[in-house]
Amino acid sequence: MASVDMVGIRKEFGSSVALADFSLSITSGELICLLGPSGCGKTTALRILAGFERADAGRVLVEGRDVAGEPPERRRFGMVFQDYSLFPNMTARQNIEFGLKVQKKGPVERREVVDRMIDVTHLGEHADKFPHQMSGGQRQRVALARAIATEPRMLLLDEPLSALDAQVRETLRDEIRRLQREFGVTTVFVTHDQHEALAIADRVGVMSQGRLEQIAAPRELYERPVNAFVAGFIGTVNRIPARAGAGGRWQVLNRSVDGSEPGLPGAEGVVAVRPEHIALDHIALDQGSLARWRIEATSFLGPVTRLVVSGNGPVQMIVDLPSTDAEDFSLGNLVDVRLRDDVGHVTVITAEAVPSVVTA
Amino acid sequence: MSTETIVVLAPGPVPVGEPDQASRRSLKPAGALKAAFLIAIALYVAIPMVAMARFAFQNVPVALLSPDKILTGWSLAGLWTAISDPGIIAATRTSLLLVVLAIVLNLALLLPLAIVTEVRSPHLRPILSAITLLPWVIPPIALVVGVAATFRATVPWFLASDYSLVPFYALWAMPFTYRALDAGLRAINARTLYEAARSMGASLGTVIFRVIVPNIGAAIVAAAALTAAMVLGEFAFASLLLKRTLPTEMVNYQRSDPRGGLALALLVMLLTALALGLVVRSLRRRGLDVQTTGL
Amino acid sequence: MRTMFRRERRLGILVLAPFAAFVALFLVYPTIIVLFKAVTPGGTLGVDALQRAVTGTYRTGFVNSIALSGTSAVIGGVIGILLALTVRSLQRPRWLRPTLDSWSAVASQLGGVPLAFAFIATIGAQGVLTRLLKGIGINASDYGISPTGFWGLVVVYLYFQIPLMFLVMLPAVNGLRSTWREAAAILGASGLRYWRSVGVPILAPSALGGALLLFVNAFTAYATAYVLNPSGALVPLQIRFVLQGNVISGEEDLGNAIVAWVIALLLLSLVAMTLLQRRTLTWTRP
Repeated sequence: MASVDMVGIRKEFGSSVALADFSLSITSGELICLLGPSGCGKTTALRILAGFERADAGRVLVEGRDVAGEPPERRRFGMVFQDYSLFPNMTARQNIEFGLKVQKKGPVERREVVDRMIDVTHLGEHADKFPHQMSGGQRQRVALARAIATEPRMLLLDEPLSALDAQVRETLRDEIRRLQREFGVTTVFVTHDQHEALAIADRVGVMSQGRLEQIAAPRELYERPVNAFVAGFIGTVNRIPARAGAGGRWQVLNRSVDGSEPGLPGAEGVVAVRPEHIALDHIALDQGSLARWRIEATSFLGPVTRLVVSGNGPVQMIVDLPSTDAEDFSLGNLVDVRLRDDVGHVTVITAEAVPSVVTA
Repeated sequence: MSTETIVVLAPGPVPVGEPDQASRRSLKPAGALKAAFLIAIALYVAIPMVAMARFAFQNVPVALLSPDKILTGWSLAGLWTAISDPGIIAATRTSLLLVVLAIVLNLALLLPLAIVTEVRSPHLRPILSAITLLPWVIPPIALVVGVAATFRATVPWFLASDYSLVPFYALWAMPFTYRALDAGLRAINARTLYEAARSMGASLGTVIFRVIVPNIGAAIVAAAALTAAMVLGEFAFASLLLKRTLPTEMVNYQRSDPRGGLALALLVMLLTALALGLVVRSLRRRGLDVQTTGL
Repeated sequence: MRTMFRRERRLGILVLAPFAAFVALFLVYPTIIVLFKAVTPGGTLGVDALQRAVTGTYRTGFVNSIALSGTSAVIGGVIGILLALTVRSLQRPRWLRPTLDSWSAVASQLGGVPLAFAFIATIGAQGVLTRLLKGIGINASDYGISPTGFWGLVVVYLYFQIPLMFLVMLPAVNGLRSTWREAAAILGASGLRYWRSVGVPILAPSALGGALLLFVNAFTAYATAYVLNPSGALVPLQIRFVLQGNVISGEEDLGNAIVAWVIALLLLSLVAMTLLQRRTLTWTRP
């Protein structure tokens, strides 16, 4: 249980830059998710934390102490890998016990700790099975128990759920969060799955091309993404042209709202608007000539229904309505679109550039 | 109202897993020790071959060899004499025929069996696998005693022919042939192929020869190549039954002409290695692994 | 439905019958006769022949063969494993891996006559290496380094033992995941500790299985031993003696008895190997 700082980390592999001036501050007991597409450097960051890779520049501080010279085996961290990496020649119990044996803990204490770990990870009936006799979810539970049994100063999780199927993924995700809270262990969780990250993290760091684009609590990240990449990576957005008006506010879909950056009055720009932030209104048939939007497709997704509306030409927009509201609309209806009243902020993708017409 | 151009931006598909950047190697000092070890192995591999080539092609007795004579006396004469020897030519012909016959017999017995087992009764596979390992427990040097005790006494005319070796060679090719075929059949999901083809109305013969066999061509080639290498190298059985195959004739010939004998042996070895190496390589390129160990 | 089953069964018999008949006639029948004769020397049940086959010079033969096979299996096994471990982590030079793979596939099959010739030209009385060593004042045969000496034979046998072990170990060594090493490290284990607790136990079954394969491979090798020294006291060469000298009555039973022992030895090795192999498979499966 420690605070960890990564300061100005740079790492190159040959000619490609994995991390460029990467900094991250983690407070004690916090769960941080590093989220990003493949090759964004999130795993490299984790491996530098673990000590498997050496940074070309920058420092890793644990409780304010530089750990650059410490090999992985002296860092007292715990780690869970995507491929479980349980030792195949040991039972679940022996796997969990391994770190304690290395620490030269006595047999009584080992037994106590292992029993507790088996208990908290609900592995009771599987304790004496070998990894190849267990399911993926059970194996990852053992891996988790093995990692926290040694009371690590920090827990590193490298895409721990990616190899599991959807249902197991969700339960285990919540279990990881529960255990992390219970043990209060500072945790970095690397994933490419935004739902996973938003669901369990205290803060989510979105990475792209070796940089941390934004780090914030899940809700803030979703509602106030700082730039186009974050907006696009988290959830779904429509790119909508806007014009800056008085006071730097942006005119978007008939409303005037604050942007992630103020616009010079008169400037043209494109802003990101989430599908659920758009409302639709029916247009009476006799006004049909004025209508610009037509419902092209609807798909029922359970609590929400996703509509695709198209304007003139190839221009399209995605709108998510609560399924109860969506019943009012059907394929081919002519509608008007507007920004919902409760939306007070949009993310500016480009400002002052005249948006080009791009097909969906 | 400035809603002329509206574009949907949805996050693209994100590939699962992340082989982040180039390498995942951990920090390790590259060993000079490793290089030394590899060089020692390379020397051990190369020196006997070089020594053999020198003996075969350099007409200078080793006792007279000195640094200034390294480049003198090289010729291919020994090799020419050896490969024009009528005994060697006859033995080569016999051995090549044995290769072909052993391959044909082996495949005739095992190919249908392996296919039918795989598509109709896969539960028999372990049994078949065990039976095809039997020849491996009874190697030539052991079986030859049994053959002498049985066939020599009861059907002497059978062992009189050079081609009496064929069934035995087919036998010893079984362990790796069956394994190659079995692996090939499993790799192409033969049972699904069979069911798909049958559901489209193909007859059993059509399925086997038009669908399955072409798809396990690589496995068949691998099995055939290994059989050929085995037959071309087998000495014990042929020698003890007094057959004149290439390996036994080579030993005879070497007694009267050591230089030519070694040249011939080197040529045979190189050709076998080259052929086998090419087969292995072409199969590897197609993503197939060749198990040469017979297990 | 029933007619189809009947036809299927007929098909099964059609492909199984020739195979079964073939194996029975050419393998099982001669083997059974040998084993039967081995336990009925002179026509009556008894263990005389089996006893004689492991006494006197024949005992020496078994001892020599087991020593030679064992030694070459252990040394070849260790070098083969080291080779597999060494090249596993090497990416450059790029040609190394495919060359090594092809070479071992070929060299493990070599053995036999050409290999014996190659070593005669290297460490024989007229061998280049013998001459070279003599040049610096070392008499190689004093150290048993001649194609007929024990260590000479070991050196020759290693030529096919090492690549064979390399091939056998490759799947197991490739099955060692780098994350096992990393998982052990982050749990505080040193490199040595990792090998002791994880690496060695994982490789052990296939290493032992491989060593057994090498043992059998060397034990039954005939051509190399025969060309190097036809009168050597090794089991395969003794079988030849007995077989070619079977005019003397009773010798035939002796040959049968030797073969019976050999088959017993090989069968035992095979069973042990299969068990070890199965264990490796469950561990290294992804």
